[in-house]
Amino acid sequence: MPKHIVRLLALVAVFAIIAIAAKEFLIPATFYQYGHYRGAAVAEIASKVPKLDGSASCQSCHKEAYAEWAAGIHRKATRNDVVQGLVIKNGPNCEVCHTGPAGNHPSREAMPLSIEDRVATITHKHIIHPADVPGRNLMLAAKDMQSVCLNCHEKLEARPKAQPQIAVDSHGGQELCTTCHNPHSPGVVFAALPRPPYDPITGKAIPVSAVKPGDAGAGKSVAAACAACHGKVGMSVNPEWPNLAGQHAGYLVSSLKAFKSGTRKNDMMSGMAAGLSDADMRNVAAYFSKTGCGVTGGDKAKTVLGKAKVAEAGCAACHNSGGLRGAGAAGISASQTWPNLAGQNAGYLGVALKSFKDDSRDHAVMSSVAKTLSDSDIDNLSAYFASVSCR
Amino acid sequence: MEHVFEHVTPFVGYVYPNETDFPWSQLIVIYPYITGLVAGAFVISSLDHVFNIKSFAPISRFALLTALCFMIFAPSPLLFHLGQPTRAFNAVITPHWTSAMAAFGYVAGFYLCLLVLEVWFAFRADIVAMSKARTGIMGKIYGWLSLGSDDLSEHALAIDHKVARILSMIGIPAACGLHGYVGFVFGSLKTREWWSSDLMPVIFLLSAVGSGVGLVIVLYVIVSKFRKTPIIDETMRGLLYVMFTGVAIVMVIEGLEILEMFYKAREGIETVRELIAGPIWVGMYIQWGMSVFALLTTSALLVLNVHGKRLVTWLFLSGLAMMIGVLAMRWNVVIGGQELSKTMKGLLTFTPELFGRESLFTVLIISICPYAALWLVTKLLPPWGEKIEPESRAFDVHKLA
Amino acid sequence: MTIQDKKLEAQEVPLSRRRFLGLLGKGAACAGAIVGAVGAGNALGAAEAGSGKHAYQQNDKQYAEAVNDPPKIPEYNWNDHQWAMGVDTTRCIGCLRCMEACKMENSVQMDANHNRTWVERYVYLEGSNTALIDSQADPKNIANAGSETKFRFDNRYKDAKVEKAFFVAKLCNQCEHPSCVEVCPTGATFKSKDGPVLIDTTYCIGCQYCVQACPYGARSFNESRGTAEKCNWCYHRITKGLNPACVEVCPTGSRVFGDRNDPESPVSLFIRNNHVQVLKPEMGNAPNVFYVGLDKEVV
Repeated sequence: MPKHIVRLLALVAVFAIIAIAAKEFLIPATFYQYGHYRGAAVAEIASKVPKLDGSASCQSCHKEAYAEWAAGIHRKATRNDVVQGLVIKNGPNCEVCHTGPAGNHPSREAMPLSIEDRVATITHKHIIHPADVPGRNLMLAAKDMQSVCLNCHEKLEARPKAQPQIAVDSHGGQELCTTCHNPHSPGVVFAALPRPPYDPITGKAIPVSAVKPGDAGAGKSVAAACAACHGKVGMSVNPEWPNLAGQHAGYLVSSLKAFKSGTRKNDMMSGMAAGLSDADMRNVAAYFSKTGCGVTGGDKAKTVLGKAKVAEAGCAACHNSGGLRGAGAAGISASQTWPNLAGQNAGYLGVALKSFKDDSRDHAVMSSVAKTLSDSDIDNLSAYFASVSCR
Repeated sequence: MEHVFEHVTPFVGYVYPNETDFPWSQLIVIYPYITGLVAGAFVISSLDHVFNIKSFAPISRFALLTALCFMIFAPSPLLFHLGQPTRAFNAVITPHWTSAMAAFGYVAGFYLCLLVLEVWFAFRADIVAMSKARTGIMGKIYGWLSLGSDDLSEHALAIDHKVARILSMIGIPAACGLHGYVGFVFGSLKTREWWSSDLMPVIFLLSAVGSGVGLVIVLYVIVSKFRKTPIIDETMRGLLYVMFTGVAIVMVIEGLEILEMFYKAREGIETVRELIAGPIWVGMYIQWGMSVFALLTTSALLVLNVHGKRLVTWLFLSGLAMMIGVLAMRWNVVIGGQELSKTMKGLLTFTPELFGRESLFTVLIISICPYAALWLVTKLLPPWGEKIEPESRAFDVHKLA
Repeated sequence: MTIQDKKLEAQEVPLSRRRFLGLLGKGAACAGAIVGAVGAGNALGAAEAGSGKHAYQQNDKQYAEAVNDPPKIPEYNWNDHQWAMGVDTTRCIGCLRCMEACKMENSVQMDANHNRTWVERYVYLEGSNTALIDSQADPKNIANAGSETKFRFDNRYKDAKVEKAFFVAKLCNQCEHPSCVEVCPTGATFKSKDGPVLIDTTYCIGCQYCVQACPYGARSFNESRGTAEKCNWCYHRITKGLNPACVEVCPTGSRVFGDRNDPESPVSLFIRNNHVQVLKPEMGNAPNVFYVGLDKEVV
């Protein structure tokens, strides 16, 4: 055989031996152990530390919030021991809404491209988190709140009917969900509405800075300026102006503040309120809240129609001392910050509802409620509330 | 909205969310294209080496070098495409044989070795001659290349010839295998309606031959112009026959494939129709337009028995048309298949990146490399049968610089 | 012949078919060896031969090894479990908490192109015979939520006349015959003995053939790691006795998970008590995610 063939064969042989040896040498140790893969990979994958930690781990620090949740309908959506809606197991646990697993603590936005790819990490208990997590409290702005609550409860065509759902516009509009609902236990307790500000970490109500109660005696002198229109004891001279007698002080104060700041518009009232200090407002509100109210009354036929409409329009949810479908006195609001309607001037009530309807007066809930009412509905409702006992 | 969502491929209908990121980009378009050119060029050289068709003798060694140079760069698009290129050899170390892709390293490696060996045998006499004619570094290099043997006896040359022929014979199924195999990678995927066809390997193979022959024609004409050597009429006629056969068969089979798809009219056929009318219509027009042009031209050249300068001009044009048409076909297959959603209820529109690792720029660089390599290799191993004179310094490192 | 005998005979048929497949597998392995494989027999092996408890593409020797020397996972033996998942589409409210939890738990890329799980919304408008489909990755949903990392469906059908609408949660089906494993050229992805299809991210070369091969679009490519990405039913959780993240956070129990070896596990009950379906059965992948309430339009 010629020399070059021999040499070529030798070269090919050397090359082949090196290639085969390299291939054999480079096969990872546990390859082919259980199949065509690295057997050690199974345990490696299994050794990753879980991040979602379950509600129990939250409990160790957030006892109050946990207790609320555990007792409420988010834990188990039952009423009279019958499971309501779709929830079967535990209901949404902590990490459903607080999607930073047992943290990313406490931000929702802290979603790095890949946590493993980060170098800087902190260890919270046994869980490793990226260190540069921007903190952000949940549920402090309407937008956050809606994006949390509405993830599950916005009315969508594709959602099973059994799931409790709301059409935002006709439910609460831009009002914070937490005004009425405790997100940990969202069943509404109407007697306690609106809910005070709420610490998202501890789940405790933040004590409202003690507001000095008004002094009715001092308020009497301030009230002299109101008497020209609203009458000496708060019974107005014109049916299109509201009676103030017996009204909730909280509502009167917030109304005066709104006139002063311009968020509620009325040429006469803006001027009047501009001259009042906060103390004056509290005092005059206290004075009128204590004067005896009177029933102005309304058209009989309309009253009957109005009474029927009340249930349908949902007024009772707020303007009823017993709360939603409750047995309390009609027209007496459950909360200090919402007005009593009982005995109020029918003319004024009509003006108010129409102003909500045409957006000249703005309130998250009322604006959307008023838009569902026809003009005759408004007349009827006004007549009804005007004739309800205010005592 | 752009800022929150800019990197999503636009789509119509419904596509799976993960589909909005194209797994295989333009690099996978040129990979089968380059291997196709290899297969075609190799077939031309084999026609002389194996079947002894003398009309191909003048270009068989050049075609062989062309095949080698393109083969060297065939895996590069894949390497650029891999997420972990440094682990590329994992597929060779532990090949998973149920994967249509696992054998790639072996098939490509085997074929590359085959080409190197064949080139070596085809050029051994020249290498030996040059190792004597050249001095300095180049002399040494040729000396190494000759493996230190200057045996040019009749006996040795006869053995060389025989081995080269055997290698070439192995090379034909290997070339078909390499390329049919690329078709299999696509055709064997049940997931994608646009790919999932038994005809896919055949289409890939035949279009490869078409584009490869086109490449050889184009290069032969251009190189001859530069070297100011006459273009041999008989060779051009031979290339014409191969070209015509290739174009005619590939068009029939491609037509059959589309016909079958529409005739079967499985679920989602409306979407396939919209794919052809939508995202890939330009590609389809180029593919079919160029193929029809090549078919008509080659038919006319055959029917009218054209020779000489007109044959050169028109065959050159149809070769070029075939190269462009097949490139468009690769695009239509690779990109088109992914533009048709797996849901069969949606279409995506692919926009190639201009710069970056997986971009048109990379494609351009990779496409140029084989030509540059071919230029260098023809300097090292002149394929045109020039006489080697001891004084001539046809290749000199100093001249290169 | 008693009914019992007939039953036995009926069982015989698939067994012999299995043996035949095993032979085929061996034949293919030989062919592979010719190409130049060392250890090709290990690769294709006698898939499915023998007792039928073999994992996908596991030969007898490897099966024995899997039984006798299971991976060293604390307090866990993969021979005792056969995981499966159920999805009750009639309970799904499309809140997408599963998507978010999954991305958090598994550090999936946060953009809309990479998901281990997602939810599709199917809406039939009145008078239409086909459904309109969208998922969170739909640009309109993302524009509505304001970010790709806020997982939320928009309310686009608020004013439309809708005849029928529902959500369908999707994830990797951890198929019995996984296409992705079939096409992986290296063995970086594999079917574990207890069910999930896993990825060895230290061995994956990132060719994305598996992404192409998955009929369900369940795989994606993680550019930052250069490897494939897929749901593994939170293998690190289920081996510690926890539920996968998506099941853990599903507020309505639309997702059910458990061990099929335990006849009283949630998923065993789910499969036994419902008429379950799988996605794209014609693909032959034999999924391990079982659905209740699918519709003809579900892709």
